[in-house]
Amino acid sequence: MGVDEVPMDDKAKRMRDLLSSFYAPDPSVSADAPSKSAPLDAINTGSFDADQYMNFLVQKSSLEGLLQRHVEMAAEIKNLDTDLQMLVYENYNKFISATDTIKRMNNNIVGMETNMEQLLDKIKSVQSRSDGVNSSLFEKREHIEKLHRTRNLLRKVQFIYDLPARLGKCIKSEVYADAVRFYTGAMPIFKAYGDSSFQDCKRASEEAVAIIIKNLQGKLFSDSESIQARAEAAVLLKKLDFPVDTLKVKLLEKLEQSLGDLQLKDEDISYYLLKSNDPSKLEKNPESVLATAHEASVREFVEAVRAYRVIFPDSEKQLIKLAQALVTMNFGTAEQYGKKRIRSADLLCVLRIIWRDVLLMDEALPEAVLSEFSLQAAQITVKHYVASRYSHLLQDISDALTKVYVGQKEGVEEHPLQVALEGSKKAVLQGSMDVLLDFRQLLDEDLGLLVKLKDLIIDWVQEGFQDFFRALDDQFLLLSGRNNSSGQIHGLMEGAQGDKVRAGLVLVLAQLSVFIEQTAIPRITEEIAASFSGGGARGYENGPAFVPGEICRIFRSAGEKLLHHYINMRNQKISVLLRKRFTTPNWVKHKEPREVHMFVDLFLQELEAIENEVKQILPQGLIRRHHRTDSNGSTTSSRSNPLREDKLSRSNTQRARSQLLETHLAKLFKQKVEIFTKVEYTQESVITTTVKLSLKSFQEFVRLQTFNRSGFQQIQLDIHYLRTPVRDAVEDEAAIDFLLDEVIVAASERCLDPIPLEPPILDKLIQAKLAKTKEKNPISQ
Amino acid sequence: MQGGSSGIGYGLKYQARCISDVKADTDHTSFLTGTLSLKEENEVHLLRLSSGGTELICEGLFSHPNEIWDLGSCPFDQRIFSTVFSSGESYGAAIWQIPELYGQLNSPQLERIAALDAHVGKINCILWWPSGRHDKLISIDEENLFLWSLDCSKKAAQVQSKESSGMLHYLSGGAWDPHDANSVAATCESSVQFWDLRTMKKTNSIEHAHVRNMDYDTKKKHILVTAADEYGIHIWDLRKLKVPIQELPGHTHWTWAVSCSPEYDGLLLSAGTDSTVNLWLASMSSSGDEPSERFPILVLALQFFLLHLIPCLISSVDIGLYCVCDSSIESPTRRANPLLNSYSDYEDSVYGLAWSSREPWIFASLSYDGRVVVESVKPFLSKK
Repeated sequence: MGVDEVPMDDKAKRMRDLLSSFYAPDPSVSADAPSKSAPLDAINTGSFDADQYMNFLVQKSSLEGLLQRHVEMAAEIKNLDTDLQMLVYENYNKFISATDTIKRMNNNIVGMETNMEQLLDKIKSVQSRSDGVNSSLFEKREHIEKLHRTRNLLRKVQFIYDLPARLGKCIKSEVYADAVRFYTGAMPIFKAYGDSSFQDCKRASEEAVAIIIKNLQGKLFSDSESIQARAEAAVLLKKLDFPVDTLKVKLLEKLEQSLGDLQLKDEDISYYLLKSNDPSKLEKNPESVLATAHEASVREFVEAVRAYRVIFPDSEKQLIKLAQALVTMNFGTAEQYGKKRIRSADLLCVLRIIWRDVLLMDEALPEAVLSEFSLQAAQITVKHYVASRYSHLLQDISDALTKVYVGQKEGVEEHPLQVALEGSKKAVLQGSMDVLLDFRQLLDEDLGLLVKLKDLIIDWVQEGFQDFFRALDDQFLLLSGRNNSSGQIHGLMEGAQGDKVRAGLVLVLAQLSVFIEQTAIPRITEEIAASFSGGGARGYENGPAFVPGEICRIFRSAGEKLLHHYINMRNQKISVLLRKRFTTPNWVKHKEPREVHMFVDLFLQELEAIENEVKQILPQGLIRRHHRTDSNGSTTSSRSNPLREDKLSRSNTQRARSQLLETHLAKLFKQKVEIFTKVEYTQESVITTTVKLSLKSFQEFVRLQTFNRSGFQQIQLDIHYLRTPVRDAVEDEAAIDFLLDEVIVAASERCLDPIPLEPPILDKLIQAKLAKTKEKNPISQ
Repeated sequence: MQGGSSGIGYGLKYQARCISDVKADTDHTSFLTGTLSLKEENEVHLLRLSSGGTELICEGLFSHPNEIWDLGSCPFDQRIFSTVFSSGESYGAAIWQIPELYGQLNSPQLERIAALDAHVGKINCILWWPSGRHDKLISIDEENLFLWSLDCSKKAAQVQSKESSGMLHYLSGGAWDPHDANSVAATCESSVQFWDLRTMKKTNSIEHAHVRNMDYDTKKKHILVTAADEYGIHIWDLRKLKVPIQELPGHTHWTWAVSCSPEYDGLLLSAGTDSTVNLWLASMSSSGDEPSERFPILVLALQFFLLHLIPCLISSVDIGLYCVCDSSIESPTRRANPLLNSYSDYEDSVYGLAWSSREPWIFASLSYDGRVVVESVKPFLSKK
């Protein structure tokens, strides 16, 4: 014990050291601790040396410590004494009770001696009798046992000899299980004696077994047999040590082949759709829809799988692979199908079929986690479907827009632009609504597959709209040809026809942008809020995927850009017209004006074309002549107008001298006429802006030339003629008047001899021109 | 839009089209401008920005025989300039010298150094090589391109070479490459043509119609900015002429003139017939091969601070730098509007536009009614 306790103590000491070194506030204490504590603790051990302990204590401790130790020890000793007394007392008690018990035992044993002796006698007599019986029966028993053994042997031999016949019988009655059992029973004997005594027998039975194997194989492969039977066959074959693995592979191959038949085909789908789209039929007997060839074959496949599992229990992996391949294939088909223009009801139908298949297979093969697997596949499919829906929508809208070209070329449509606008409006709104409705069907469907995808679908739909509108904006820009700079020049160089169509298209796009911003987006937002709220798979920090505000902003700016672009395109054409007009003649050597120049007609034609386009597309302004009553700049200028006409009709050479001063003065007194006001989406606004810009161009061209008197008069005549038709076309007469006057002023400034035409001559020439156009018009109409 | 209120105005007596920076005057910020009046006696005004920068002072007023269609100041002699003028029926071009003034201002006569009298048709412009002393001049009329060699001391100009633009090409203007004295660009109706002056052959062209005006970037090679009536402003890299680097929308009506800042990268001015001058900040990087191209605003502003502001505005530097940092963080994320400001304080179409080369944040503009307005773009360099 003592030896044992030393290492224990060491260990404890070490522990204590560690602890004290950790807890001690002063390292010196911890250093002291072991030497002090070692003898103190050794008091309980066998190796305790009292003297040493005493010496140690006296040496190390202080007086107070010693005293304290003394007191402690005295107390301990007293305690120990008490404990000792208690122990002695208890043990004494136990001892007394033990003596009592022993006394009682002694008394009981005395009577037992005689009884035991009697028992011994009886046992002895039984023994002798049984010996007698044994000896008398011994011989006979040995004989019986021998006979029995012989009989068993004979029976076995008999069995072996009967085996072929028995097997044959079994084959006949197709009880292969028994046959196999017999054969395997006989197998050890055949192994031992097959080469000698039972040769014939063995051969015969082997032949029989070969037949059995063949039959079993046939059974295994025959589809007509029940699964149970086939499974049994497989088990039996296995028992017969037949190489089952090759069978397994063969069977698997067969299953794989059947996969091809199982794959959803387009005809299948269309067949399904035909059925499901016909609601009356569906309601009458929905079972008939289910009970189709496909359904049956899937069931068959499932059964086969189940059987296969039973037959070959260790084949799950391959089966899972097989099932997953089937699911993948089917979803692939669905995805392909989703890329076509289909309604989501149709897609749903397809998905429903696949899901049903999946559920069926899942039952048979729960390890494959097919539902999980197909969820992923479905996710991809639905996502692609959503994307393709949007791209189709985009395509539809572009088609509706590009109909302008076709209509124009065929020349059938009366108002090709209007048709295009209406068509594309409808395409946008109706298309979007249809898309939403379709997606809603996806959401409403309580197909297990799609329920899990709900949030994702909502996100996709929202995201899809966001992207769709962005793409639409890009498409608009592409169609308008704004983003390829060479397009503009190209458009100019093309024939007037193509250019006109393009300009019209730009106008349609502008109005369509407004429509999208003001009507389509709110409707879509409403719809989305109503049925596509939630989602949130994207995480909240990203905000909702569909931001109508942003889209509105995009389209507002796109609309403005396109409108400006339209006006710009129109103006470019007019500029070309004006440029030709001003670069061709030599203005310094111009001849006296005889008639209104024909470019005015061209200009008016151009204006008419714009008017024609604008009328088809844009609404009328709410308040006509709005600007006239509103802007004080215009009123003042219109007041100064007669004055200016006066001034111009005065044929006074002196006037030209003070011309510039007058112009400056006039400008001082009236406010700057707002020439470049914001364009609005009204017929008048667009026409007015176009006219304003072209008149400004006119002015600029005039400023670049130098005129002789006749040249100036020609300009005067042309402008005078223009005044009436142009004024009729626009909403801001004052500004137009101002600009027309500005052209004449510019011409007079650039004229060496600015004497205007006399009013009578002016009137005469204009009347002549009017008569001429009147004469022309009936012919053209 | 009322940023133009800070502008310093000066009124000419008659209508006018052209204004030019007097580059050779290194002591003052001066501009030359000439009137365009068919019937009155035309004048050339030499304007000087007062030292405080608050006033435009007329330093000289000289009568000019005909209305002035083009005016260019000699880049190496502040007293020499060129004009293209017209009497209504015929055109002429001449090199003039401003006489010594000696304080008095009694409308002395201009001294004609040389008449460029080889032209027949309508003369468009006379070009000085913008980058310094060069004894050659280019004049462009509708059909021909002339290279003159000018000798100021002998007061003579001789045709060195001449080339016709070819059939059906009517030239309308031109610009001389400041980086290459042998290369000049000329505009015609349907394209911009590049000429090599050594061989007098066309080297290249941009198929872009109706270019009204153009300007080379003096800081960066291969950059040309064109303005074309309704088609807005295009910035081209001369190595890639198919597609412009950038398009700017230009003006409500025609974009008449365009001018690159002589100092700040990407800073452009354009003048239009809608009576406005627009200040643009374009990104002139086609490939972003320099770091400064990625943060044009930052670099611009830093340049500005280093060059001009630090000496005088130490106290405001902190605030300014803060702004700079702020904008530089934002600029890569959202594409900033290239239009920095639109000066709209004009009564008529603005045809004349000139940056000051001495104080590169100052420019002068001239509207048709004869009003010269000098503006500073300082507020837009540090801000935005």
